[in-house]
Amino acid sequence: MSAERPPDAPIETSVGPAVEPAVEAVGLSKSYRGVAAVDRVSFALPAGSRTALLGANGAGKSTLLSLLATLVAPTEGSARVAGEDLAAAGPELRRRIGVMAHLPMLYEELTPAENLRFFARLYSLEDGAERGAELLHAVGLWGRRDEPTAVLSRGMHQRLALARAVLHRPPVLLLDEPETGLDAAGVELLERLALAAPGTTVLAATHRHERIEGWASGRLVLDRGRVVEDAIERPPAAPPVPAEAGAPALSAATSSAGEPPR
Amino acid sequence: MRAALAVMEKDLRLAWRDRAGWLTAVSFAAISVLIYSFALDLAAREVRPLLPGLLWVTFLFAGIVSSGASFQTEGERGTLDAQLLAPVARTALYAGKLLANLLALLVVEVATLGLATILFDESLLTLELGGIVLLGTVGYVSLVTVLATLGSRVRARAVLMPVLALPLLVPLLIAAVRATGGALGEPTGDAPWLLLLAVFAVWAAAGSALLFPLAVER
Repeated sequence: MSAERPPDAPIETSVGPAVEPAVEAVGLSKSYRGVAAVDRVSFALPAGSRTALLGANGAGKSTLLSLLATLVAPTEGSARVAGEDLAAAGPELRRRIGVMAHLPMLYEELTPAENLRFFARLYSLEDGAERGAELLHAVGLWGRRDEPTAVLSRGMHQRLALARAVLHRPPVLLLDEPETGLDAAGVELLERLALAAPGTTVLAATHRHERIEGWASGRLVLDRGRVVEDAIERPPAAPPVPAEAGAPALSAATSSAGEPPR
Repeated sequence: MRAALAVMEKDLRLAWRDRAGWLTAVSFAAISVLIYSFALDLAAREVRPLLPGLLWVTFLFAGIVSSGASFQTEGERGTLDAQLLAPVARTALYAGKLLANLLALLVVEVATLGLATILFDESLLTLELGGIVLLGTVGYVSLVTVLATLGSRVRARAVLMPVLALPLLVPLLIAAVRATGGALGEPTGDAPWLLLLAVFAVWAAAGSALLFPLAVER
């Protein structure tokens, strides 16, 4: 990883526009010992939309993200992510998803450069070294690329986790409280690289309600595993009709839990 | 194959840097052989019938010590999930982990055989014995790898290994001990122990590869 790049150069985070809709869940459920963590959740995220996933602790946000990331198998229901059926959970689907979870998912004994190099090999990135260098510059860890990850601060771990999540340029990003541990510059970086990355569909669980207006084009609110508010940005109907001047960015459509999205 | 090699290299690098796993395994193996040598204090001819059992008990626990901790860490840090998110076959991840564990334990075993050769005055670094140890270790590490993965997913991980692994390993250990005895010139009966050991090693490796995708499910 020896590539040098200007610090303000734009970072490519996505392969481009994904198929429509980018994420679609129909009656998706997950129960643990009979207790529903996610209960018949249905929604559809258009390609390129950026949705804040809101809800109190235990509302089911993390479980929903884990379901969509193929890390947890659903008890009922179905979902499609980036055009691929969740039930198949094949390599093509996983190639199209980038995930930031509660844990940074990093090897403490490896350096930041080694962490990214390892994941680049798993994703068979032909430009893995260059891509890793580009992202280490972007997240401000180039100067510490050869130190053990264990010595980095919590915020630096999160920056590296962000670099790992966007390493393979996924068209869909699933983020679980990605701002945790980040300072103001880190949050700005998060918004630039992930939350507001052009062409990327984002579903991000967050408790930072005051910041979502800055990046979210819609929101999905969970309570006890069910959707209680669905204000997801809708794609324009065909044929497209010009929006009225001053129309709100969010079409606040509230649907009851269990109903398929409109 | 590229993914399996990447996982293997990563696991070996982690094991080397962490030190705790392999140092504990090496120390345990060395101390065990030393204690046996001083406790038995027998001539080479008299100690020979006991050697196969002593060696395989040492290999068994050294393997559990060296492989269990790394999986627990993978589960706790979420790095196992990070690998599962990658667009590679689960069996490739398993193969990488298996190869890393296999290489690490084989190094400990060769060192143990070298030390035992000196302490027991018995030539143990032979090609025949090396083949038996390799076969036994393939079967053993296959099972331990998949069970350690399963252990990283459940709360009762502390009891999983003794409850599940040890009974599953009994046929392997019997075959390995008897085949080792045969290689050392001890009477082992008419049973084809080496063949049984090979069959068990293949069964364990294939079965564990099939079981691994289920072991990582949540």
